[in-house]
Amino acid sequence: MRKNLYTTDARREHGIDFVRSHRTLFYSGLFLLCALFSGCKDKDEIKVYRVSKAEPESAAPGVSPAESPGTGGMPPMSAPVESGATAGQTSQLTGNPPSNWEVQPLSSMRQASYLVKGDNGAMADISLVTLAGAAGGVLDNINRWLTQLGQPAITAEQLAQMAQHVTSPLGDVTVVDLEGLPQGADAAKDGRIVGGIASSDAGTIFFKMRGNAALAEAQKEAFKQWIATVKLTEAPAGAAPAAPPAPAAPVAAAPPMADAEKPRIKWEVPEDWKTVAPTSMRYASFAVAGQNNETADISVSVFGGDGGGDLGNVNRWRSQIGLEAVGDAELKPLIVPVTCKDGEILTVDMTGPKAHILAGWARVDGQSWFFKLIAPDQLAVAEKAGFAKFLQSVQFHP
Amino acid sequence: MWHRLFDFVSSLKLTIICLVASIVLVFAGTLAQVNFGIHEVQQRYFQSLFVWWPAVSQGLRIPVFPGGHLLGGVLLVNLITAHVRRFRWTWRKFGIQLTHAGLIVMLAGGLFTDLFAVESFMRLTPGETKNYSEDSRNMELAVIDESDKELDQVTAIPDGLLRRGGTIEHGSLPFRIIVRHFYQNSQLQPLEKAGPKAGPAATEGVGSRLAVSEIPRATAENDRDLECAVIEIAPIPTGSEVTAESLGTWLVSDQLGAPQTFQYAGKTWRVEMRAARYYKPYSLTLRKFTHERIAGTEIPKNFASRVALIDPDRKEDRDVLIYMNHPLRYRGETFYQSGFEKDDTATILQVVHNPSFVAPYIACIIVGAGLLFQFLYHFAEFSRKRNTVPAP
Repeated sequence: MRKNLYTTDARREHGIDFVRSHRTLFYSGLFLLCALFSGCKDKDEIKVYRVSKAEPESAAPGVSPAESPGTGGMPPMSAPVESGATAGQTSQLTGNPPSNWEVQPLSSMRQASYLVKGDNGAMADISLVTLAGAAGGVLDNINRWLTQLGQPAITAEQLAQMAQHVTSPLGDVTVVDLEGLPQGADAAKDGRIVGGIASSDAGTIFFKMRGNAALAEAQKEAFKQWIATVKLTEAPAGAAPAAPPAPAAPVAAAPPMADAEKPRIKWEVPEDWKTVAPTSMRYASFAVAGQNNETADISVSVFGGDGGGDLGNVNRWRSQIGLEAVGDAELKPLIVPVTCKDGEILTVDMTGPKAHILAGWARVDGQSWFFKLIAPDQLAVAEKAGFAKFLQSVQFHP
Repeated sequence: MWHRLFDFVSSLKLTIICLVASIVLVFAGTLAQVNFGIHEVQQRYFQSLFVWWPAVSQGLRIPVFPGGHLLGGVLLVNLITAHVRRFRWTWRKFGIQLTHAGLIVMLAGGLFTDLFAVESFMRLTPGETKNYSEDSRNMELAVIDESDKELDQVTAIPDGLLRRGGTIEHGSLPFRIIVRHFYQNSQLQPLEKAGPKAGPAATEGVGSRLAVSEIPRATAENDRDLECAVIEIAPIPTGSEVTAESLGTWLVSDQLGAPQTFQYAGKTWRVEMRAARYYKPYSLTLRKFTHERIAGTEIPKNFASRVALIDPDRKEDRDVLIYMNHPLRYRGETFYQSGFEKDDTATILQVVHNPSFVAPYIACIIVGAGLLFQFLYHFAEFSRKRNTVPAP
């Protein structure tokens, strides 16, 4: 057996010697530990930060990253788009989609958005997006689409072999047909991308159909025909944002987001109102374009309980348009009830130095519904009759 | 003196004291869960240097027992110093030394996790985009300056400060906030339903029509307290002016359906009590939530969230599938598929920021290597001895 070289005292001395010789290290370690305790995060610290009023950048429903920035040197999402649905633009993309494509609300990225449905719940999402400049190049974007489908990237030679070409008013459009079902995806809604990329003076234009493989195959020719019709046209000054054209007849609107949890409500939207994607705080959003690039913003929101009370909300709206708050006594004369299809909506009409607000609210089934139009005075006056009709058409229990 | 201190710090006696104290702490903490719930007990007993009495007070507080951080820290120092004291380089002891080093890494990792890890949740409905996660256990009073056209300036006051009461002043606020009442768990009722004795909770906003009453704390694991506070907004006294006219009191609670605003110094301010937020430089959009059940039953088989990750700074824009044991790791945070809401209307992702998440893995490898080495060393020694024993 190996002989123990140290007695107990000797071991202790060894340890103490070690500490003596490494005293600085030892004390530094202890100090560090103490500092860790004393310097650890203060949970009760007041934080100050700034956040954008706008919603964070969001991906359009079912839209791929190829339509938005990504790797490969594509421009940031906020890059100016020469043609598209932004205010102040002078040109727009228009085309002739097949009649069986359903027009969808536009997002900040999309200049056209459609949905086509097939049998057994199959569907495909079709979009048109423009990005400034080369937007990463054709090959990189097609490889990005392949990645979305869980497929390996291809080379330029492979692309040359598989690419088809469609001639459109925008010039030559490179069209590819990609197949693959990514992990966890729903085969009824995914499995194939038929995409087209064109370069024009307006930037790089992306046409994309993504959805059920069989449905996308069936719609492929229609998709190519649509691509062949898309052209850049001059938009009249102050016109409502671009393609696609709004449906001609008033729409009996279903809730804009298919969500089983959302309450059922119906209304009829005036012809000149355009559906826009609601933010997370809104149930639905509409916009109306007026003269001189003026826009009316119409929102529908729903909150639990009394939603903050009549006085609190009216005063909040008043502050938004630069009016002084009112008291209970002053509030009552401002309120005018409007009869809707199955109830009553209380309304106010207020004009302030900043804007004009038409608002209505109703409390139904423990929830508070708020309908609000805010616009410059002239536009709000012009839309007042339409807003009143809209309120009258509301049906909380269809 | 240093010798004696070093002897004590590295002694087995201290190890035993700490272990016994830990047992007592765990026992007391377990009993305390009946009254405070598991999350409060974790903070009061285990994630603190001392257990204080009374737990919350503006006045004198007495430390009545060492808390989990103190015991863990002392044990760590004890282990390190004992290691240093008894260390000597021999192959015979190498496995033991390695095992102890692994324990030190594990203990230190646990401490770091406790100190620096942040857990929060992100709830997303289909199509919804968020660039922040929320802490479901900690609330904050957000005082928001809405005067800028593009940016809101948010002053986030943690609920811990409201709980202490008193007056809150901050450089970002031109007024002071006086906490009149803080209710750890509350019930709000319309004034007309609250009975003749009830009075309005506040003078301004929705609180002027509500009555608030304190109710016993929520102690079940999945319940949480519904905190609310009555705050007064008042100008900051200047010069000889001692009392300035108050703007009134507001009731703040995350149970209120809509935020409340007021005007001060020519600006519109919004106040709301909400779950504490952790903003991120990127956003997630829920594309699809999948909830598969075992056929013929309601037992979950698999649930997964397909999200779009968008990071303008890093030019990231890709789809990610988050499902059981396949979290998304991005920018030092890990997104786990945690749960879902009734009828699959929303997915809930647990967001964990833990700088020392690798420590347990490293510690296990070191401990495993130490034990293996020690076993093999003794096994080799035993074999050698057996082979050298002369035949009878």
